[in-house]
Amino acid sequence: MRISTWEFYIREALLSLRRNGLMSLASVSTVALTFLILGLFVLLVFNLDHVAGTLESQVEVAAYLDPDLEDGAHLEIAKLIKEIPGVKESVFVSQGEALDRLRVQFGDRQDLLDSVEDMNPLRHSFEVKAKRPEDVKVIAAEIARLEGVADVKYRQELVERLFNLTRSIRIAGLAVVVLLILATIFLISNTIRLTVFARRKEIGIMKLVGATDWFIRWPFILEGIMLGFLGTLVSIQILNRFYYWFADSVYSSLPFVPVVSPADTLRQLTLFLFGLGLLVGAFGSLVSLRRFLRV
Amino acid sequence: MIKICKVTKTYPNGTTALRDVNIHIKKGEFVFFVGASGAGKSTLAKLLLREELPTKGEILVNGVDIVKLKRRQLPFYRRGIGVVFQDFRLLPEKTVYENVAFAMRVVEEPRREILRQVPAVLHLVGLSHKSRMKPSQLSGGEQQRVALARAIVNNPPLLLADEPTGNLDPDTAWEIVRLLVEINRRGTTVIMGTHAREIVDTMKKRVVALEGGRVVRDDQRGAYGCEEAKAPFVLPEVGEPSGL
Ligand SMILES: Nc1ncnc2c1ncn2[C@@H]1O[C@H](COP(=O)(O)OP(=O)(O)OP(=O)(O)O)[C@@H](O)[C@H]1O
Ligand SMILES: [Mg+2]
Repeated sequence: MRISTWEFYIREALLSLRRNGLMSLASVSTVALTFLILGLFVLLVFNLDHVAGTLESQVEVAAYLDPDLEDGAHLEIAKLIKEIPGVKESVFVSQGEALDRLRVQFGDRQDLLDSVEDMNPLRHSFEVKAKRPEDVKVIAAEIARLEGVADVKYRQELVERLFNLTRSIRIAGLAVVVLLILATIFLISNTIRLTVFARRKEIGIMKLVGATDWFIRWPFILEGIMLGFLGTLVSIQILNRFYYWFADSVYSSLPFVPVVSPADTLRQLTLFLFGLGLLVGAFGSLVSLRRFLRV
Repeated sequence: MIKICKVTKTYPNGTTALRDVNIHIKKGEFVFFVGASGAGKSTLAKLLLREELPTKGEILVNGVDIVKLKRRQLPFYRRGIGVVFQDFRLLPEKTVYENVAFAMRVVEEPRREILRQVPAVLHLVGLSHKSRMKPSQLSGGEQQRVALARAIVNNPPLLLADEPTGNLDPDTAWEIVRLLVEINRRGTTVIMGTHAREIVDTMKKRVVALEGGRVVRDDQRGAYGCEEAKAPFVLPEVGEPSGL
C-alpha cells in the first residue's frame, strides 16, 4: 500500500480522535485504568512468585543425628544420603560448627552462649538440598528411615502456602483483568461506533467513489489502536513511577524481602501492555466495524 | 455499454418502482431520464450504482452482469461511474480541493497524479480560485460544480447525474448542463435524471420517459413532453465563470 494512503489514514484517524474529544478521553482513561490494575496484578504475582521461589531454593532438609552416635558414624550416613535419588548435595554440620553459626547470629550477645559452651546442646546434622523442590518430602522421609538419624525437619509448608496464595491471586487477578479488558473493548468499540456514525455520510461518499471496505476500515482501526496506545502510555507511566518507588522503599526498609528488580520487569511489562493495548484497540474497533459498516 | 433488460424493482415494503424496464445505452451517449416524481428515475440510478438490486431482470455494463458482482468487486465496478446528486453530498469539513482529491485518494492514486489532476478538473469547472474554501462558503451552483469535479476526477467512462440541477436556479442549472455536455463531448457517457423540462427540450438529446415505473417513451432527439419542442438547439450564454 502507498505511503500517502497511510498518511491519509493517520490524518483521518487523528482528526476523528480530536472531533470525538470527550469520548476519546473516556476510552483512553478506561484503557489506562484497566492496564494499571492489570500491571499491578502482574507485578504482585511476579513478586510473590519471586519470594516463593527464593524461599523454595532455600528449602533444605535438616537431619539431626542421634546424640550418642559413635564418632565417624556420620561418614556412613553421608554416603547413604548421597545415594537417595533427587538429592543435590548434603553438607555435614558438626556440633561445633552449629555453635559457631549461632555465635555469628548472636552477634554482640556472645555472653548468652558462653554458659552453654561446655555442654553444647546442639547435635550433629546434615543439611540436604534437593534437586527439585517437590522431591523434598520424599527425601525427608527416606532420610528419617536411616539408622542414626534422630529427627528430620524441613520448611516445606510455608512455601506451599505461598504458592497456593500466588495461585489464587493469579486466578482472581486473571478474572478481574479479563472482565476489565472486555469492558475496555466495549468502550472502545462504542467510541468507534460513534465515530462511524458521525462519519456515515463520509463513508457513504467513499463507497460511492469506489473505496474498498478495508480502505474505509483502516482509519477507524487506527483510531482504536491510538486509543489503546494512549491509554497504555498513561498506565505505563504510572506503573513505572509506582514500582520504582515501591522497590526502593522495600529495599531500604525491609532489605531481607526479595523484590523483583524494576528495570527488567518493567521492560517486559511495558512490551506486554503495549502489545495488549494495541490489540485491544484494534479489536474494539473491529467489533464495531463488523456490526456497523454493512452497507 | 449499458443494457437494462426486463428489470423490475420492488422495494421490501412492497412498492414497485420499476416494471419490466428495457433500456440500451451506447458508449458516448447523453441520455435524459425524465418523469414525474416517483416515476423511478432515482431507483434506476441506484440500480446502476448497484446500491439496490433488481427484483427481476439483468443489468449488463460493458458486458458484465452487475447483479452478480461480488461484494469484493463492487468498489472496482463503482470506480467506473462518476455520480452527482441533487444534494451535492460534499464533505463540509474538507476544502474544495480536498473534496475532489478525496475521490482520488480513495482509489489510491499516486500523489503525483492527484497534484496534477485535481487542479485540472477544478479549472475545468471554473473553481480554481476557490479551491481552499469550504463548501459552506460556496453558492449552490459552485457546490454542484465541486461535486461534478469530484465525479469526473478519476475519468470514469460513465457519469450518472440524478437531478443535478434540482436545487439550482435556471441560470446556474445551465452552467451545470454545459459542463455535462463538455464532459460528454470528451467521451464520457452521461445519464441525467431530471425534471427540468426546459433543459431537456432545448438539448435535443435522447430522452427516456418513465411513468409509474414503466418506460413510456424513448426518443433519440426527444423533448420532455410528447409535443415536439420548437426551440432550436442553442446553449444559452451564462456569464463567464464556467471557463469553457
Ligand atoms: N428505499 C425505498 N424503499 C421503498 N420505496 C422506495 C424506496 N425508494 C424509492 N421508493 C419508491 O419507489 C418509487 C420510485 O422512487 P424514485 O425515487 O425512483 O422516484 P424518482 O423518479 O426519482 O422521483 P423524484 O423525481 O421525486 O426523485 C416511489 O414510489 C418511491 O416511494
Ligand atoms: Mg429521484
